[in-house]
Amino acid sequence: MRVIIFSWEYPPRVVGKLAEYVKALSTQLVGNGVEVNVVTYDDSTTGTAKESTGVQTIRVSNPVRTHIGVLTWVLTLNQEVERAAANLYYQTKKQIDLMDVFDWHFISAAVTLKNGLGIPFVYSVESLEDHRSQGLSTPYNMAIKSIEWLGFYEAEKISVKSEWMRDEIVRIYKVPQEKIVVVSAGSNSWIKEILDLYSIVSGVLKAR
Amino acid sequence: MKDDLTVMMLSWEFPPRVIGGISPHVFFLSKSLAKQGVKVYVVTCDFPDAPAHEVIDGVEVYRIDSYKNPSPDFATWVYLMNLNMQKETAALTRKIGNKIDLLHCHDWLVANAGIGLKHVFRKPLLVTMHSTEIGRRDGLHNDTEKMIHETEAWLTYEAWKVVCCSDYMISHVKWAFGLPNDKLVMVPNGVNTSIYNTAPEDLKDFRNKFALPEEKIVLFVGRLVYEKGIHILINAVPKVLEKVNAKFIIVGSGYMKEQLLNIVRSMNLEHKVLFEGFLDEQTLLKLQQCADVSVVPSLFEPFGIVALEAMAAKSPVVASDTGGLSEIIQHDVTGVKVYPNNPDSLAWGISKVLLDDSYRHRIGENAYKKVLEIYDWEKIAQQTRRIYEGVLGEYSNSFWA
Repeated sequence: MRVIIFSWEYPPRVVGKLAEYVKALSTQLVGNGVEVNVVTYDDSTTGTAKESTGVQTIRVSNPVRTHIGVLTWVLTLNQEVERAAANLYYQTKKQIDLMDVFDWHFISAAVTLKNGLGIPFVYSVESLEDHRSQGLSTPYNMAIKSIEWLGFYEAEKISVKSEWMRDEIVRIYKVPQEKIVVVSAGSNSWIKEILDLYSIVSGVLKAR
Repeated sequence: MKDDLTVMMLSWEFPPRVIGGISPHVFFLSKSLAKQGVKVYVVTCDFPDAPAHEVIDGVEVYRIDSYKNPSPDFATWVYLMNLNMQKETAALTRKIGNKIDLLHCHDWLVANAGIGLKHVFRKPLLVTMHSTEIGRRDGLHNDTEKMIHETEAWLTYEAWKVVCCSDYMISHVKWAFGLPNDKLVMVPNGVNTSIYNTAPEDLKDFRNKFALPEEKIVLFVGRLVYEKGIHILINAVPKVLEKVNAKFIIVGSGYMKEQLLNIVRSMNLEHKVLFEGFLDEQTLLKLQQCADVSVVPSLFEPFGIVALEAMAAKSPVVASDTGGLSEIIQHDVTGVKVYPNNPDSLAWGISKVLLDDSYRHRIGENAYKKVLEIYDWEKIAQQTRRIYEGVLGEYSNSFWA
């Protein structure tokens, strides 16, 4: 199985908790025989690197240097994410089973790759704009929420780490509960649950 | 020659959505390409009451759900809209079995979508640069302008060929983004002469709605923004009226409107200057035919389609000697060129045309002939098709093919 993981933070770039989590997850997946490619952001080094863990990382930088906000920064970075993912797709003779997208930043790339190349994706939710902004609904917050909503709509499955988060997504975004999978992060069954989820989602590709 | 050449064209505007010159450009270019046997898909923003999909003279037009929530600002909206445009175009391309040969973008407004799709489908990307941020703003003064400029640079970097519609624009784009010569190609903009077909006797009553019989009509068509130089024309109004009785008709809207109205009021010339806002197409076409002179006082003008439309309508043109206008108009032959940013020079040019009937007639006829000779959409589509074929020839030797 070959997966592309999208995350805007990955060590050594650490913004919040996501970086370490994605690193632990990808390392464990590699240990279970999954080929893992992490596409992430790096503003100083670019190019492909094979880590000692066996995880392949591709660090892309923003083609546009000047920005007026996080939104424009994220939205232009997505084309580089698409370029990196598309290169993997063609280099592997189109053998990508699925994408796992962490938070809203690279949803744009995921939905385009899904619609254009037919690669299904899991949307893994670490946090929601509604919580981060404490219910604010300025045009800026609304835009991020609309991107999150698009992710929920287009994803084959949504993965969360708690029942509370599952219920919040159902409450705020009106997502059908059966679309959301709660994984017990860090527990003994964690990787098995992720692998089960991945095989359900990549099975969608084979059924198409 | 490839007999099933297919192009995916992206544009943020397409009729009935008309904001600037890109909309009519893409409309006529796509239709004329279809006549040349090119299969054209146009993906554009939606518009009230316009269908999500229709076929216009062989052109497949898809209108996507552009981002409609309130946006933090215009530039951010553009990037949000591109997210949808990219996703929808990706789905459409997959639906038609990836049977596209090229992607053709118009301006930075669809940069993200075009660049993303280029890599996702590994197809060559072309861009027509209708304008640049650094030209529109006369420099880069804040982060929004810098961001747009860098987005334009990124788009031209990713493009296989950069099309510009005047030699002026070629050198401007080359300077602005540091592009190599062999990436740049000039194809003029076109104009449709057959739409100016109202018989002169039918125009009489129409004309009376706008001007007294003894008044000459001076027409301005364009957005009321700094770069279009409309304030130069307003300043020239009293200078023209000293010599000839005229009515100034201003068509279009923009952020300078209130300011311009105040100037006109302070000069007590409200009865001589009419602000018409946007007009429907039929009214505008007739007005262009009625105009005794059409004025294009732009400070920055990559091409100057309004001048070309006036020429097609046989309305004599007075234009500032700048940008693409300098190339379209031959002074004293197909129009009158005046110093840019100079109300005295502009007033001189307008008066010259209005005071000499035979001169006015002559340059109007000459201009019309020139339009038929060079700015014909069929010829432009043929040139564009040759560019597509050239790019595909190069592409076929690349490892993407």
